[in-house]
Amino acid sequence: MTTQATERPRGLERRSFLKWSAAAGGTAALAGAATRFGVLPGVGPANAATASTSGADKVVWSSCNVNCGSRCPLRMEVSDGRIVRVLPDNTGDDELGTQQIRACVRGRSIRHRIYNPDRLKTPLRRAPGTRRGAGEWEEITWEEAYDEIASTIRRLIKDYGNESIYLNYGTGTLGGTITRSWPPIETPVARLMNCVGGYLNHYGDYSSAQIAGAVGYHYGGWIGSNSLDDAKNAQLQVLFGNNTLETRMSGGGETFVTQQTKKLHNVRTIVVDPRYSDTALGLADEWVALRPGTDAALVAGLAHVMVSEDLQDQKFLDTYCVGFDEDHMPDGVPAGSSYRSYILGEGPDGTAKTPEWAARITGVPASTIVRLGREIGRARPVHITQGWGPQRHANGENQARAIFTLAALTGSVGVPGGGTGEREGAFSLPMANPFATENPVTTAISVFGWTDAIERGPELTALADGVRGKDRLDVPIKMVWQYAGNALTNQHGDINRTVKLLEDDTKCELIVVIDNQMTVSARYADILLPDVSNAEQLDIIQQGSAGNLGYTIVADKVIEPLYDCRTVYEMMTEIARRLGVEKEFTEGRTQEDWVRAVVDASRETIPDLPSFEELREMGVWKVRAPTDSGNVALADFRADPKANPLATPSGKIEIFSKQLWELSRTWELPEGDRITALPEHLDTWEGAVEARSNRKYPLQVIGHHFKQRTHSSYGNVDWMKEAHPQVVWINPGDAAARGIENDDVVQVFNDRGRIQLPARVTARIAPGVLSVPQGAWYTPDGKGVDVGGSVNSLTSWHPSPIAKGNAQHTTLAQVEKA
Amino acid sequence: MNIHELPMIVFTVLAQMSVGAFVVLGVVQVFASRRYGREAVDRVTDPALYAIGPTLVLGLIASMFHMNDVMNTLNVVRHVQTSWLSREIVSGVAFAGLGFLFALAQWFRWGSTRLRQILAAVTAVTGLVLVLSMSMIYYSLPTVPAWHTWATPAQFYVTTFLLGSLAVGAAFMGTVLWRRRAAARSGSSYEADAPTRELLSTTLRGVGVAAVALLGVEFLIIPLHLTGLSAAGGVAAESAAVFSGGWFVARLVLVFLGAGLLSVFLVRRATPGSRVVPLAVLSATALVLVLGGELIGRSLFYDSMIRIGM
Amino acid sequence: MAQQLGFHFDQTLCNGCKACSVACKDKNDLPVGVTWRRVAEYTGGTWQRDGDTFVPNVFSYYTSMACNHCENPICVEVCPTTAMHVGEDGIVTVDEDRCVGCRYCEWACPYSAPQFNPETGHMSKCDMCADYRAEGEDPACVAACPSRALDWGPIDELRARHGDLAAVEPLPDPSITRPRLVITPHRDAQPTGAGAGAVVNPEEL
Repeated sequence: MTTQATERPRGLERRSFLKWSAAAGGTAALAGAATRFGVLPGVGPANAATASTSGADKVVWSSCNVNCGSRCPLRMEVSDGRIVRVLPDNTGDDELGTQQIRACVRGRSIRHRIYNPDRLKTPLRRAPGTRRGAGEWEEITWEEAYDEIASTIRRLIKDYGNESIYLNYGTGTLGGTITRSWPPIETPVARLMNCVGGYLNHYGDYSSAQIAGAVGYHYGGWIGSNSLDDAKNAQLQVLFGNNTLETRMSGGGETFVTQQTKKLHNVRTIVVDPRYSDTALGLADEWVALRPGTDAALVAGLAHVMVSEDLQDQKFLDTYCVGFDEDHMPDGVPAGSSYRSYILGEGPDGTAKTPEWAARITGVPASTIVRLGREIGRARPVHITQGWGPQRHANGENQARAIFTLAALTGSVGVPGGGTGEREGAFSLPMANPFATENPVTTAISVFGWTDAIERGPELTALADGVRGKDRLDVPIKMVWQYAGNALTNQHGDINRTVKLLEDDTKCELIVVIDNQMTVSARYADILLPDVSNAEQLDIIQQGSAGNLGYTIVADKVIEPLYDCRTVYEMMTEIARRLGVEKEFTEGRTQEDWVRAVVDASRETIPDLPSFEELREMGVWKVRAPTDSGNVALADFRADPKANPLATPSGKIEIFSKQLWELSRTWELPEGDRITALPEHLDTWEGAVEARSNRKYPLQVIGHHFKQRTHSSYGNVDWMKEAHPQVVWINPGDAAARGIENDDVVQVFNDRGRIQLPARVTARIAPGVLSVPQGAWYTPDGKGVDVGGSVNSLTSWHPSPIAKGNAQHTTLAQVEKA
Repeated sequence: MNIHELPMIVFTVLAQMSVGAFVVLGVVQVFASRRYGREAVDRVTDPALYAIGPTLVLGLIASMFHMNDVMNTLNVVRHVQTSWLSREIVSGVAFAGLGFLFALAQWFRWGSTRLRQILAAVTAVTGLVLVLSMSMIYYSLPTVPAWHTWATPAQFYVTTFLLGSLAVGAAFMGTVLWRRRAAARSGSSYEADAPTRELLSTTLRGVGVAAVALLGVEFLIIPLHLTGLSAAGGVAAESAAVFSGGWFVARLVLVFLGAGLLSVFLVRRATPGSRVVPLAVLSATALVLVLGGELIGRSLFYDSMIRIGM
Repeated sequence: MAQQLGFHFDQTLCNGCKACSVACKDKNDLPVGVTWRRVAEYTGGTWQRDGDTFVPNVFSYYTSMACNHCENPICVEVCPTTAMHVGEDGIVTVDEDRCVGCRYCEWACPYSAPQFNPETGHMSKCDMCADYRAEGEDPACVAACPSRALDWGPIDELRARHGDLAAVEPLPDPSITRPRLVITPHRDAQPTGAGAGAVVNPEEL
């Protein structure tokens, strides 16, 4: 998942990172910048690069387009029609804003992904009479596949309507324009469906469901925090579960940006995380280890220190926020509803959120909380960002909002060196996308709710399940498209339960999976369409998050399609023809025509953008941000909140959200779940507090993003499995209590599933916590043990209360030697 | 057992046994010839001598399996300037060649006795150099603490003489048995004459005494080596952990039974008048037990290869 | 004498991603099990627990390691075939026509530089991308490092710029082979022999 201007969660008010029109002489500044930085030393046709050492015929620009938040150009050496080597970006330098975009370990292993034994070679249909997922296939022709899909779509639309057809979340190919699999509305599959009346939408995404669901209530929409290079202007940097050095490993993206910023400016950096992440290892002056899902409690403790010692930026809170104290509350809410009252124990719960109170919940000693509260309270500005681990919890919306609130307490919103407390924003090029279409259907479910919509569609309501655009779904999901994604099984919660649901083909009648590898989700297809890899087709690639660097990549067709694989554009064109909408779908254009159209349309907003031919030659085109740093979020709001109000009801930052207060009184929630108007800490099902009283499953399981894979992409590449083997992290104390030693094979289990993998006994994880790197490929053995070690064999379908999102870090389990 | 290094385990133990047996035979020759006459001695020692050849060849064949590209095998002698491995190969081939030459000379009674004695002495020294080279291969690695210690050459030489002595004893008794059986098959009977019986029993007693003494030395080396490793800490201490558990105990027990208990029996039972079969069984069993123990020991030795660094 | 080449490794920047390692494998088409550049994670520390709270005292850092083309290359010294040899510029390479695959150098080298390739039956190792260098390009690992933690060049120049530290856990005492390696140490780097932590990923080396 990326969070950049070009790829933000949809369904929210869209704001531009860079107000191009507002920036004084914006385009002129950009033009100047481009002249200075657009054509960099060393930029030139890749074909001029040395290719003699491997005896290669040519070197062609391509890229790595997986969902890590980075996006890296690659140069591919071709010999006899085969890719023989992959080379890094050789344009630019080692300076922030003009850096070489050096691909990480994953991109460097792409050759073994392209030529993987798991590549799908020919269209397949589930053998008649066999169970879904049994792996019994019959080879069919492309024509048979197209015919069957088209006739099923026609029948389902007639019998159930367009809302019975669903595009499942998938981010296996990201950054591409024609080939992208996310956001769903911009995919070629959506374009096809929109030509025939649309499909059932979803809101949110598996990466950031809770924070995206919360940010609208707090800031009025997705803002993004200051960019990470802007930390140079801070007195203090605080990263809440933000792990750029493992999740965004590009040497042109945030790993490079954070490392260089730290190296050049050495701003004191605090990392808050249950793991001593590689970001903590690389950047942190201090590591604050806390129990998963307790960030909001920690913030409350910090706020107690700040309020007690009058360290909060009261002027900022009075001017820009509502809900901090009783003098700044919306009308019609009871007294004692402010955040200050909550902190001081003057609210409904009557409990002061003292450092001692927070210590019991978080595990962080009270003395540490006092020290940190003073340090954060006295530093100005404070550069606060959060990754998406804190929000991927049952109380994730509040977790995210609590960190936003801390940013407000320090008055650091809208100034250089500060931020909103969201994930980092970045400078990026406002590339156009004429390929995208609109969905005539407005009904939407939560990204995480599709299994419920298959199981009991018409029972899903707005008040109980977060259905949007309708009070209640009319029909269940009868068909699922899964293009370049693994959320059909591997990345969804509770895989064992999900798989059982999918095995019943009377509910969902047709599952079409488009992919180039036999993924876990591909195993559960009825029809399997073999996609080409990105090296087998042309596309223009939108940039990743890279501080103050803007760029775009033209990834050319490096080799001919392997086997009998075809492009997704061709697949959709053929199905469109059978549905009688080929003209509407293609508009008479080939894939290359569309790429040219993207460049032409983008040149209207970015006059310096080279022509398609030039870009194709250059491979990657770079622009340094015309401003001091990549992004300062809400600078306009900070400068003049009246002229530039937020999209919240009050126009201000809503620490107390009256909208949420309304929801808390009207929405129907499962027993024990709560929605609160304030970013309160909530003790939830399978949360940190329950873990300590749960005799059966006393360990909290989180699933950190892992270097071997981007989610599940690259998870079947031999070089990657060798470089970064799947292991479960366990604290030495917890291991000793169970007789577990480093590298012992163990089983982690709860009532939902059981996984088997080696143990990494390490002091780098907090006591009482296991981390199973997410995205490993679910591989059940004969006894129902997942020997692939997928964390989602343990996670739950239970959604978070507001966003109805995946709370996958809220999981309890036990571990034992295998 | 360390299957991975099986070729080296077999090669080093068999080669050391061959060297030891050759040297022990020489000692028997030197001491016994004066008392019992060369003829009697040669009759007893020659078959043992001829058995050394196949043993060594077997070891050398095993060592070939350690090479992963036998096509390039001849290159291994290129680096005698600095590589103990090259030196091992050179001395190993020299020992085999000289030993083969000496065996031929004995068989055909080439040259004078004096000349053959000189040849035997040179062969024996070459064999001792071979054992030294072998041990230096391991001793000379400062990166492997478990090997980079005086215990490596000491242990290698103990193995050499322990197995060499027991092998000679077993070979002598085997020769007697074989001659008796051959005589029985041809309808006659074979009885060793008095000097031969005397020679046999004296040798066996000597072998027994040597085995017990060497066992004592070995049981000194092992704890000293281990305490040294443990005291050094770090990687050395880590490798000391290899010398524990079932295999290690089995090794100690086997050697103790063979070189201790049975050898004591041998010393006490071996008289010119004692019956041949029990003595033969005793000496053969002692050899088999100790050979087993030493093979396990060598396996553990390779297991202890934990290198410093990364 | 030609300039003697070596590596510089900035431990403060390494996040253990192994792009160096895989870029090398891609360039040289190395199978699983043959890894010319490896990355060790050295970790140690303790936790203090007090009732419901805990305080970590933990350190961890990575070391990326190929071949240090040592001044006293023990692999060359012990090689029985002379396959392992030193070039003009101090670069140590394997002559595959001579190598017998005895793996003695593998025992000897404290950096795991010589790697046995079962596909050929020979040892194989880093030659600092002699082919790339001949064309004025950086070695694959250096060009790959997203963090810019790797550099190469004449060792005298590297030492003039970065000092001459190479005695950092888990590396051995540099006096053994005299590696042409300079390390800019991580803030928690332990001196060689301190033994406060351990390599936690030995199976990856």
